[in-house]
Amino acid sequence: MDKKTAEEKMAQLEWYISKHCLWQYNSRGWDREKQNERILTKTKMLLCGENAHEEETTADRYYWSEAITLVGAFKRYFPWIEETSKEDFTVIMQLLKDKMDYTMIKGSLNKELIKEQY
Amino acid sequence: MSYHQFKCSECIPERLEHAVDKLPGEELTDALPLGYLNTIPGTISERGCAYCGAKHVIGTPMKDVIHISHGPIGCTYDTWQTKRYISDDGNFQLKYTFATDMKEANIVFGAEKMLKKNIIEAFKAFPEIKRMSIYQTCASALIGDDINAIAEEVMEEMPDVKVFVCNSPGFAGPSQSGGHHKINIAWLTQMVGTVEPEIYSKYVINYVGEYNIQGDQEIMKDYFHRMGIQILSTFTGNTHFDDLRGMHRAQLNVLECARSSEYICDELRVRYGIPRMDIDGFGFEALSDSLMKIGYFFGIEDKAREIIEEDTARWKPELDWYAARLKGVKVCLWPGGSKLWHWAHSIHKEMGVEVVSVYTKFGHQGDMEKGISRCEPGALAIDDPNELESLEAMYELKPDVIFTGKRPGEVAKKIRVPYLNAHGYHNGPYKGYEGWVRFARDIYNAVYSPIHKLALIDISKDEFPTDKGFETSQSLSDVKLTDEIKNSPDLKQCTSKYDPIPEIRAKSGYLFPDPETGVLREVPIEKLRKNKVVEVE
Repeated sequence: MDKKTAEEKMAQLEWYISKHCLWQYNSRGWDREKQNERILTKTKMLLCGENAHEEETTADRYYWSEAITLVGAFKRYFPWIEETSKEDFTVIMQLLKDKMDYTMIKGSLNKELIKEQY
Repeated sequence: MSYHQFKCSECIPERLEHAVDKLPGEELTDALPLGYLNTIPGTISERGCAYCGAKHVIGTPMKDVIHISHGPIGCTYDTWQTKRYISDDGNFQLKYTFATDMKEANIVFGAEKMLKKNIIEAFKAFPEIKRMSIYQTCASALIGDDINAIAEEVMEEMPDVKVFVCNSPGFAGPSQSGGHHKINIAWLTQMVGTVEPEIYSKYVINYVGEYNIQGDQEIMKDYFHRMGIQILSTFTGNTHFDDLRGMHRAQLNVLECARSSEYICDELRVRYGIPRMDIDGFGFEALSDSLMKIGYFFGIEDKAREIIEEDTARWKPELDWYAARLKGVKVCLWPGGSKLWHWAHSIHKEMGVEVVSVYTKFGHQGDMEKGISRCEPGALAIDDPNELESLEAMYELKPDVIFTGKRPGEVAKKIRVPYLNAHGYHNGPYKGYEGWVRFARDIYNAVYSPIHKLALIDISKDEFPTDKGFETSQSLSDVKLTDEIKNSPDLKQCTSKYDPIPEIRAKSGYLFPDPETGVLREVPIEKLRKNKVVEVE
């Protein structure tokens, strides 16, 4: 998959998340980093057909629940998901992670993200 | 995105960065309104105070509690019965309000003795109520009354009562949001972990940030119970004081209004390791995704799927009747803090309305991130608007309806823009599949009511046609529809009952899997209404 196509597909996934997902908006930057990392990593694993249960904890179970719900939605919205290879998912999901980290954390204008306590 | 300059606020330059136009192709990193800042002198804000946020939004929905304000009578009067957070056991929390009625003499000589007298008097007047929440106000905070010490004294003298103290005076933050924060943390620190609740299901949640407006909590509770999930507590709608003391025993915090209650979820995650799962109870798709997420967490997604399929089949044709008639209707989505993001995308996608503006009175920048993401390009996003800005926006955007609170709603009506109550609702509940249809019906009735035309005619002097019949909502709404839609046998108007809640309350019980064996057994409704707790010594 060329870079332009991967970016177009990433933009579609980002659009879906921006309209539907609340997990990206936790109120602190460090918390958002963790949410993005855990949920998007598991989403990628599930898209690649891997077992995304990494630990026997309720926290892991939570991240997995968000990820599997997201995968279901991606499949409903974007028919190309079913035809995409593992290699291409890896590229698209890395682009998505980088973009979300920028929009929601590094480039965010939300001044509350840098407060330490809740 | 670029900042939006209101003409009426040119004389208040600080206001510029509080309003943003969402332009095509732009992103959140281009511009974001400022938020959760002190209201600028010279602007007339629509906000409430931190006392009001603590008491009126979060404290008072607790149902078996004497809610007493330690302050002048006006503080409690103005936070009494202004929101429809009903309960299933007689609405004590709505019927009665209590205040110590501080006067000048108390300010000069202190009011602690009077507070103690009031507390005891209130418990004696309502001997069946054994729980109390005391709310500090500006007056009692400024003179330094030690409310916690008085509460301890009373609890020593009356061992069967429990008293919670919320020190959140009106000035403790820029808006009611400061009070949400304070009461979240105060409850967690003073109360959570002081009882051990009985666990009767394998699946246990706290339902957080849900206030049972016109029965919202009871609609969602029914879904959770049908899935076999025990709701340990609801923070704080239709809940018992003691249920909220046992929040530490849940496996998952399901969070609805993150604006008012994310703090307690975040702290429960840090202190007790309970994950926080944010959900949307509004809108068919968002609600379905939310039920599925919770289902996946417990491994009971098939139960969630059953509810989704059943309720979607039952209510979707009715939603679609309204969606066909609401397409293109322009809305200003102007609630308090969370509904701008709960509703923005769902009403556009599922009802076809165009959100031309979002605003928040007390939201933070995070709420604006969500709201702006979820509305379409062209929308105007405003933080903490003043009345003149709201008027200017309505003249400019020409909305067909606005969703807002009672006070700005009346302002809109004066310029002949209909409004729906986004806080207390018109004919709620609005959560759930049935609730979403009720919301669509309320929007339809607001937009197409013939009264808007009739009100413009002064029959004492205006000419008016006498050879035509009355217009109806449907004669107005169906003008633009094709015959195919007008005559569709698949679409039908809302058949929801006047009040859908009594039917839910009349259920006899639900099946829950035993926490140890997983075997399903019926738990009667009486037990679900009042769970057992054991005091922790």
